[in-house]
Amino acid sequence: MQCPILWIHGEALGPANPALQAYPGRPAVFVFDAELLAGRSPTTGDPADATPQAVSLKRIGFLYECLLELPVSLRHGDVVAEVLAFARAHGADGIVTSAGTDPRVEGICQALEQELPVEVLEPEPFVELDGKVDLGRFSRYWRRAEREVWAAASQEQ
Amino acid sequence: MAPDSLAGVALAWADQPGDLPRHFESRQALEAELRRLFPAAKGNLSPIRGGRRQAEALLSRIQPARYAKGRNFLDGHVTHLSPYIRHGALSLAEVRDAVFARLQAPGGGGRQAGEKLINELGWRDYWQRLWQQLGDGIWRDQEELKTGHHPGAYAADLPADVAEGRTGLACMDGFIDELHETGWLHNHARMWMAAYLVHWRRVRWQAGAQWFLRHLLDGDPASNNLSWQWVASSFSHKPYFFNRGNLERYSNGTFCRSCPLSEQGCPFDASYEQLEAELFAPMPSVRAGNDRSRERRDPRRRGSPAASAALSRPTRRR
Repeated sequence: MQCPILWIHGEALGPANPALQAYPGRPAVFVFDAELLAGRSPTTGDPADATPQAVSLKRIGFLYECLLELPVSLRHGDVVAEVLAFARAHGADGIVTSAGTDPRVEGICQALEQELPVEVLEPEPFVELDGKVDLGRFSRYWRRAEREVWAAASQEQ
Repeated sequence: MAPDSLAGVALAWADQPGDLPRHFESRQALEAELRRLFPAAKGNLSPIRGGRRQAEALLSRIQPARYAKGRNFLDGHVTHLSPYIRHGALSLAEVRDAVFARLQAPGGGGRQAGEKLINELGWRDYWQRLWQQLGDGIWRDQEELKTGHHPGAYAADLPADVAEGRTGLACMDGFIDELHETGWLHNHARMWMAAYLVHWRRVRWQAGAQWFLRHLLDGDPASNNLSWQWVASSFSHKPYFFNRGNLERYSNGTFCRSCPLSEQGCPFDASYEQLEAELFAPMPSVRAGNDRSRERRDPRRRGSPAASAALSRPTRRR
């Protein structure tokens, strides 16, 4: 990609965002996701609940204050439509973002890919664990992870 | 601009029609603008400010050894970093490295001082990995409940007195007010509230989880829903509950002193055995071969803050 735009989402509102690190200075956009804020997505509401309620103002305010410290344009509405409109306005040949845990991020990336190439960059993990990790209980995960985390600490010295 | 003005960092590209504003005269102006832009969103701004600068200020104040010692107390030295981590103002890897740096500095205490804090960061990573694996299935019971009650016995909706913070219990009403006003609660308060709602009021955990997600600045379905499930027992070997002695100890008696039910009518004022008999129905198939009393005494059994809460088993007060 020669001139991509960056899509910043709500899991990466800091300088460690790998898209901001890989493409400093490129136009970046964050979209206040109307459906999510209305409580109509599994990120914010029980999919089985017939009467979703909107996310409170303080959560939006917190995001807003994080966003004001980043070089990012702010939009509100449908995320896919807004990101694509932003890309068009900047004549972009692709979209770069960071991987998210929320399945909603992946879904949005798939929709964006219908229009433009999407590059998804992985943030630095807390701990790197190869192969399948048993997540049945925390203790099983931690038996493996603890050793790796502390091994990284001693390498730092 | 006024000293408390909020100005976004400069952009290297031109604004487009429909861009949201990035300059405000004050925090009040931001609040007013957000009310206009998001009319469905209720309430006020939190006194907790977002942003990297705040996150770094908090990060510079972490004290791993004090955290390990006092983190279960409401006034203990906890980090308050969760909202910033949730939204990536700080990454978990950055927090990890800052903790390591602190431990390795002179007087930092080394690994021993930091084990608990690193372990709790591990919980965050664990919940995130599970979310990735479960996807939206994170809203469903991961296992059968171990409360002896049928899932249908739980009410679907948040009771009005809980939603409005007028349960009459000084502790719960205090926590509810804090949740609504600030969007942040100490982990122990979250656990007490969840146990109260699910076990004493017998409400589906999903109703509570959804309520928390509307308000918590750090709310995501990973830590939130799975912790509710942990309390409810759909993601643990047994339900989490507490008693008055436990709450009174870790809140330094703050709520009980002013509670109208302090002398009579406190639903938490009983031994663990009495409360267990009151709240749960027998589950022979689960109890067979499962020494519950031994489990509760072992603080490492779950490695979570809840374990130590259930640990203290004070004698009945009256």
